[in-house]
Amino acid sequence: MASIGRAIVRVPKKVKKGQGFKVQLVIIHPMETGLRKDPKTGKKIPAHYITHVKIYLNNNLVTKINSSPGISKNPYFAVKMKAMESGTLKIVYEDNKGGKWEKAVNISVEG
Amino acid sequence: MKTRRELLKLTGVVAASLILSTGAIFSPAYAKISLEEALKKHLGVDLSAIKESNEIKVKAPSIAESGANVPIQVSASIPIEKVEALYIFVDKNPNPYVAHVEFTPLNGEVFFATRIKMGATSPVRAILKLKDGSYVMAYKEVKVTVGGCG
Repeated sequence: MASIGRAIVRVPKKVKKGQGFKVQLVIIHPMETGLRKDPKTGKKIPAHYITHVKIYLNNNLVTKINSSPGISKNPYFAVKMKAMESGTLKIVYEDNKGGKWEKAVNISVEG
Repeated sequence: MKTRRELLKLTGVVAASLILSTGAIFSPAYAKISLEEALKKHLGVDLSAIKESNEIKVKAPSIAESGANVPIQVSASIPIEKVEALYIFVDKNPNPYVAHVEFTPLNGEVFFATRIKMGATSPVRAILKLKDGSYVMAYKEVKVTVGGCG
C-alpha cells in the first residue's frame, strides 16, 4: 500500500489558446467508507478517503473538488478548463488522515 | 469424504452468512441519512425548492454491473459565470452526499466526470448551485444489481 497518494494526470499534449480541454486524473487511494468490516477480524476498517482535490493553473485556483467516501476506490475525476498561456497545472489533494500530496504537469498552449 | 447432506448444509450456511452480511451494510446502526437530511445539511434547502432543468445532462449507465464503480458524467449548458458549484447526490446511499465541485470561470464550462459507489438502485442527482443562490437539478435513475457501499 506504499503507493497510496500516487496520481496519474492526463492532459492534451498541446492545447489551443482559450479553448476548453479536459483534465483527467486518477489517485491511488483505498477510499474506505468506515462502514466496511475486515472479513478476517470482523473489526470495522476506519474511514480513509480523499477529502478534496484542488486544481491550479499557474497558482490560480481553477477547480476545487470536495470528495467523500461515496467516490469509488482509486478515484477518477475529470473537469474541463481553459488556458490562455502555457504553464504548470498543479493538483493538490488531501485525505482525512492528514495525507497531502501534489502533482504537477505542464500545459503547453499554442495559437 | 463429505456426504451430500454435509455439503448441502455447508452451502446453506454460506448463503445465510452472505445474506446477513449484505443486510448489515444498510442496518440502522450505521446512521443512514435520508436524501432530505443530506440536502438540508449540505445545501440548506428542501428537495421541493430545487427546480428541474433540462440544461443539465447527467450521463450514467441505466444498469450498473457493480455498485462499487459507477461512471457518471455531468455537463450543463448554463454559462460557467452563473454557476458556483455542482453537487452530486445518490438518493439511496447510506450517505447520499457524494461530492461537490466548486467551479471558477477558468473552467470555461460546466463539466465533471467521476466514478461513484452506489448501494442500491437509485436516482443519481446533479444539483447546480447558481450565483444568485438558487438551485437547479437533473437526475438519472441507475439500476444496481450488486451494491458497492460495503
